[in-house]
Amino acid sequence: MPSSPNLIPTHSIYLSKSTNPYFNLSLEDWLFRHKAPNEPLLLLYRDDPCVVIGRNQNPWKEVNLPALRVREGVPFIRRRSGGGTVYHDLGNTNFSIHLPRTSFDRHMTAQVVLRAVCSLGIDATVNDRNDICVGKEKVSGSAYKIVSQRAYHHGTMLISTQLNTLGDLLHNTKDTMETKGVASVRSPVRNLQQFNRGVTHEAFVDAVVHEFSKEYGIRNVDGEVQIVSEASCRDIEYIQNGMSELPSWEWAYGQTPEFTYTVSQAFEWGTVTAKIRSKHGIILDCACSLSVADDSVSSMSAIQPGVVDSLNPQLKDIERALLNRRYGFVSAIEILKGLGINGMDDETGSGVRAAKDIALWLERIMNS
Amino acid sequence: MFTRRLQGKRFLVACLHTSRRVQNSRKVIEKFKLADIGEGITECEIIKWNVKPQAVIQAFDPLCEVQSDKASVEITSPFDGVVTELLVQEGQVAKVGSNLCLIEVVKEAAIGISPNVAEPVNTSSNPDTNSLPTIESEQEPGSSKEFASAPRRKHPMDPTFTPDTKSNSPIYATPSVRHIARQRGVDLSQLAPGSGKDGRIERRDIDDYLAGAATTGAPVALQDDQDVVVELGRTRHSMWKAMEKSLHIPHFGYSTTLDLTTLHGLLPSLNANIPPHFLPPSVIPTLPLAVSPSSVYPPSPPPEVPPSGQYTRLTYLPFLLKTLAKSMLEWPLFRASITTTDPSSKPTLTIRPHSDISVALSTPNGLYTPTIQSADSHSMYALSSQLKYLSHLGRQIPCGLTPKEMPKRGGTLTVSNVGAIGAGDFAAPVLVPGGGVAIVALGRAKWVWDVDRGDGSGERRLKLGVSWSADHRVIEGAELAAFVECWRGYVENPARLIADSV
Repeated sequence: MPSSPNLIPTHSIYLSKSTNPYFNLSLEDWLFRHKAPNEPLLLLYRDDPCVVIGRNQNPWKEVNLPALRVREGVPFIRRRSGGGTVYHDLGNTNFSIHLPRTSFDRHMTAQVVLRAVCSLGIDATVNDRNDICVGKEKVSGSAYKIVSQRAYHHGTMLISTQLNTLGDLLHNTKDTMETKGVASVRSPVRNLQQFNRGVTHEAFVDAVVHEFSKEYGIRNVDGEVQIVSEASCRDIEYIQNGMSELPSWEWAYGQTPEFTYTVSQAFEWGTVTAKIRSKHGIILDCACSLSVADDSVSSMSAIQPGVVDSLNPQLKDIERALLNRRYGFVSAIEILKGLGINGMDDETGSGVRAAKDIALWLERIMNS
Repeated sequence: MFTRRLQGKRFLVACLHTSRRVQNSRKVIEKFKLADIGEGITECEIIKWNVKPQAVIQAFDPLCEVQSDKASVEITSPFDGVVTELLVQEGQVAKVGSNLCLIEVVKEAAIGISPNVAEPVNTSSNPDTNSLPTIESEQEPGSSKEFASAPRRKHPMDPTFTPDTKSNSPIYATPSVRHIARQRGVDLSQLAPGSGKDGRIERRDIDDYLAGAATTGAPVALQDDQDVVVELGRTRHSMWKAMEKSLHIPHFGYSTTLDLTTLHGLLPSLNANIPPHFLPPSVIPTLPLAVSPSSVYPPSPPPEVPPSGQYTRLTYLPFLLKTLAKSMLEWPLFRASITTTDPSSKPTLTIRPHSDISVALSTPNGLYTPTIQSADSHSMYALSSQLKYLSHLGRQIPCGLTPKEMPKRGGTLTVSNVGAIGAGDFAAPVLVPGGGVAIVALGRAKWVWDVDRGDGSGERRLKLGVSWSADHRVIEGAELAAFVECWRGYVENPARLIADSV
């Protein structure tokens, strides 16, 4: 595509060659905002492995961040449409149907994709949440975005995804994290290839292009299909800006709605309960309370007299140290600095030891 | 970013601060409601506000983002103004129709805002908003009528916006651009989309348009090789709806030809004797009379005939209507209309004392059926005058026909003279509710060789095809056939009319 300030999408069907999820999401957004409002548009793409959360979701609640960190090069990305958390890899094909807002009907668009799947010889249906299923299992998840003139329905289609990885990365059971965001609705999933071995990404793409063209009266299909590469969009500022915005802390974490996480940990010297409140990724406050262990539990170690007295002000210092910090981005060392304790090895008094325990624990909690 | 916005909006901000000095503008606090997003969604969670209180915003600027089920929805501002208060916080859920925020808007005299959009806030009910400007005393919703001129197009998210199916592409323009357009008498819909961002119309678009219009005259509609979508106009849409209702009526058809040869022979004489009050003044022969009929006592003055009701020659139609009216007097069934008051009770017919006949009129505005009441009591000359008058009214743009010519009562028979348009023989007209119990389409009269006449050698005769459709709930086939024969009895033998001293 030539570089020009007034460049707008002129085709109806876009296939992305890139597997860069940041590029694909930004391309989708550019097509969404710049296509003539009354014309239908279809985009199909695949991503390298990544976890994608909905616009208003809480990554700490939805994503198994420790497992994610273990896998090198697999990020989580917050997309611009609503809905729940999904896992993308090259065995998953994403579709995106853009229409004028006044004529947008999510059931109709789901039917277009359903017909494509059925044409591959699979007995699929649409459930009451507008997701495509085979029997009781989901093969696709959907989400939507609506602005003043346009709306889109986009979704995943599991063809040959690593479902074990999906299960692992999306596994998260923080029951005591209460979030104001949208929670994912968990469902059992299966790949299309488990129903028909011959289904491929290419076959699915062809089927969707065919059904889309039929539905929206696109006659010259070959002329309408445009294959897009990352290189061809290097001059489109909107896409470049999007690609740098998506991984930024402000977008990925800073868009998290308010949540409260209540956790307790039993230490040798007592149990600490922390109630951390965060909004937009920032810690608003952290209320820590201490209950001393029963004699029966800590009979082994010597509870120094006055440990509660020394801990309580330290807890207050810890609370203060966390205030306005980025949730999940505070290290134990930084917390302890707030208490005047430098490093882990400095001083070994039990009060300090307790503070270190708490700091390490909080760091771990927020990274989980 | 906030400062950058202010700089760009200096004009608007200045306007707000000096509005008290400007005679015809005033500040009003608009309540912005969460509009119906569609898809059966009843409530949404506010995810994010894009503005803070005291932020200056323009129409179509992003205001907030809401989430419902799996949809993330971006809401843009319908107004230019200043956001004074956010009424729902991020993370809270708002029901569709509830107020999201308050926006202070400057209303100029030239901007006509329909009364139900403006909802001025009573300052006494908002004790904590000390920063509200003075609101002028004439605050009834009706008072904005005095500012009415061209209505402002409503933002799609404006809670009172009703999707106008005629306008598929909205017109984006800042208030200053709209003001200029109004001043110069430019219709912005002619310019959309403009050269600005998102198709906004800019000032230079107006300048270009006026420069172009000056040189080329009226803009020419571009011919495309693409399909074009048009909306049905009001009259055609009314026809659509009426015709759908016509499906409730079981139609049956009946056609025949009428022999107009004798009538044809009478026309020259009839034309030569059109009463003077039906003739255009220029045509009336002004022969000085040696003896005047008014010498002893003036005869009753003729009725006033408007110029559009004057004519110089008769057609067949008034004659056909008159003979039809006479037949209707002999056949009460065809003077009946269906007047079932209660759907659950038995159907009733109401028989009228006179023959009311509706005439289908094809006009530039669409298809209308005005009614000639009591056609039996009018002379053929009077009927001719009425027909001319009605078609004159119908051809006016906008249509000159009023409920006086098209009463709800309507006729019991409808006549469609489609032969005037094309050389048709027969048709299959459609009867609509309110159009009576039967309709007849008249074809075009043509000379044919009728082998039945002239003692077997045949004769040249003027024939007219007529096609009837009747409501079979009310009329039997045999009855219609017999009625048509009655009509024929008059049409083909006009001499009979003399006996009745018509």
